[in-house]
Amino acid sequence: MRSSNKRVAAPRPRARGIAFTSWIGTLLLMYGVGCFAAEGDKLFAPCVACHGNKGEGNATLNAPAIAGQDAAYVERQLRNFRNRRRGIDKSDTFGAQMQASATAMIADDAAVTKIASYVASLPKTINASPASGDLRNGNNQYQGKCGACHGVTAEGNPTLKAPRLTGLDTSYMKRQFAHFRDGVRGTDPQDMPGRQMAMMAKTLPNERDLDDIIAFIHRQGRPK
Amino acid sequence: MKKGLVVGVLVAALAFGAGMLFGRSGKQDLKISSSTQGASYSGGFKAEGEGAAPPGAAIRSVAGPAPTNVVVVKDGESIQAAVKAAPKGTIIRVMPGTYHETVYIDKDDIRIIGVIEAGRRAVLDGEKKLNDAILYSGNNFVAENLEIRNYKGNGIMGQAGNNFEIRNNVIAESGVYGIFPQLGKNGIVEHNVVSGIADAAIYIGMSDNILVANNDVFDSVAGIEIENSRHAIVEHNYVHNNSGGLLAFVTPGLPIKDTVDVIFRNNFVVGNNHPNFGAPGSTVSGIPAGTGILIMAADDVVIEGNVISDNKVSGIIITDHAHAQNITTDPESDPNSDRVKILDNVMLRNGYDTITEAKALLLADGKVGAKNLDIVRVGPSPGSCIINRHQYVTAGVGDFAECDFTNTANTVNYLLPPVPPREIKPGERGKVVYLGICTGCHTYNGRMIGPPVQVIQALYMENPQGLADFIAKPTKKRDDYPEMPPQDYLDPETRLAVAKYMLQVTN
Repeated sequence: MRSSNKRVAAPRPRARGIAFTSWIGTLLLMYGVGCFAAEGDKLFAPCVACHGNKGEGNATLNAPAIAGQDAAYVERQLRNFRNRRRGIDKSDTFGAQMQASATAMIADDAAVTKIASYVASLPKTINASPASGDLRNGNNQYQGKCGACHGVTAEGNPTLKAPRLTGLDTSYMKRQFAHFRDGVRGTDPQDMPGRQMAMMAKTLPNERDLDDIIAFIHRQGRPK
Repeated sequence: MKKGLVVGVLVAALAFGAGMLFGRSGKQDLKISSSTQGASYSGGFKAEGEGAAPPGAAIRSVAGPAPTNVVVVKDGESIQAAVKAAPKGTIIRVMPGTYHETVYIDKDDIRIIGVIEAGRRAVLDGEKKLNDAILYSGNNFVAENLEIRNYKGNGIMGQAGNNFEIRNNVIAESGVYGIFPQLGKNGIVEHNVVSGIADAAIYIGMSDNILVANNDVFDSVAGIEIENSRHAIVEHNYVHNNSGGLLAFVTPGLPIKDTVDVIFRNNFVVGNNHPNFGAPGSTVSGIPAGTGILIMAADDVVIEGNVISDNKVSGIIITDHAHAQNITTDPESDPNSDRVKILDNVMLRNGYDTITEAKALLLADGKVGAKNLDIVRVGPSPGSCIINRHQYVTAGVGDFAECDFTNTANTVNYLLPPVPPREIKPGERGKVVYLGICTGCHTYNGRMIGPPVQVIQALYMENPQGLADFIAKPTKKRDDYPEMPPQDYLDPETRLAVAKYMLQVTN
């Protein structure tokens, strides 16, 4: 079912000679070679400054782990950013950064699709430091509120347009959850999956349950 | 002289011994009651007015007088065709043979009676392709002498039918629920042999005035489950090698919010240690394999006269919602098991390989090195009582009072003469279908079998027609959930009505 598992990993000739040290540098590179870079890995180059060169994410830069994320989800989010359906609310500073980057650094829809399938092909990583919480309550709340779409072990479910959650760091999950709950994300009429998530986010009783759910998610996909 | 000394020594020894004995028994405050004497339980259901049975006459049938119209279905013919053609008030005799079909009964007074010839039965075989063997929504329904195999959803499911009798059936490997009367009043489930069911072999859901008796239930996740139901007696059943034997539950998020007045008596609850094969994350998958009797948030459950042996986690577990696995609490349901009453039971070799939580509770009770565990209680259980507690290895029942009765002999059963059909007001079709069908697998805010209603509301917001179309022909969307059976036997208007109802219901 999971397309990411079946997709053959694209060959990745690593151009390690170039150090991507700054946002501006990557932007320049993008403009310099963008028109020749047909492959996903080259198109992905501007993303690594924040998301890491394996897509492993960087909590310090507020960039989520995206490696191995479902391609359709990544594509949808990139389009949402580019179509001003996500990251335009004043309170969403980091979303606004991504909104600007996705708009400026990706040439067109074809490039979006290639980047998305490249991201999906990257091996899944779990680098986020595990959150602590009541795992029993986390399991119960997760299975009651989240598991029906995101899967029993939080691996996501493309059929229901629900992304993988394992591997996402605590602050990213809490921030996005608050955005859904508080009408920052998932408000655009065209963003149906986002609206579905927003509706569910409003049903969670309290912040402690969210902490426990995140602790439960962080137990998934790790050696027990 | 010599003789005098001997006598003197003897007297002294006796006195010493007696002192030891009395001293010890005084310290332990042993209160010994005889269950063949003493007061009988008087707290259960009392029929009133015209529903009351005449004293001395136990009700053994609830479906009313048998119809006189009889049709016969032979091997190679269709039971469903016979039901369709039959007028209300028909006995359908099914001859031995194999029938690959789903039978829907939506009219009253239909009896499907298998004919057993020299051990050969009428077999309904779903071949692991069909979902349900029998779905009835008519009242005064009887199913007898059938053999049901290889269905994916339900063996026999009732949908808001009253006065049902389900007896003498053999049901094996037939999906999620073996026998499942949902939202029914006044029913009997007896003398059935049910095995290999992935959730509850016998599941009494949101029903009232029920007798479950003389069934042989094994190799299933949950043996006999009384859930969000009132006034049920479960007696003389042999419940063995399930993950959990007998269960009285409140499942949160269902429209009926409580389970009250359940008597578990004179059952054999033996070796319920089957590995739990419930779908991961589902409510039943949270039952610890090795549980004899499980009480979760149910009130006024009486446990009497059972032989409870060889259940490796515990003979009896009493819990609230907060301590249970895979349970999302419901603000409208009391999460505690109130007024549990444990009378005399024979408990042997339970809890020999128990779970860590139970071991911790034993330690907290000062029972260091206990090799067995008969009864364990977690969470509040106000108003509970027990007799002859000294005979059991227990954890967490120290504050139970002494019961002021020792038996339930005065309670024969909770059955009634035939009750009127459930009243359905015009415009309530969607609600009744929701209660009678959907809530069998979907709770409002938690995962029972299918996804929670809250999630469905989010997925199908502004799109009731999409939901109505889906339930007619469901597709599998979740690897880790069982596939939903099609509800295409409901007409399109009913499907849309229930979809609309489901998308706006609030708990």
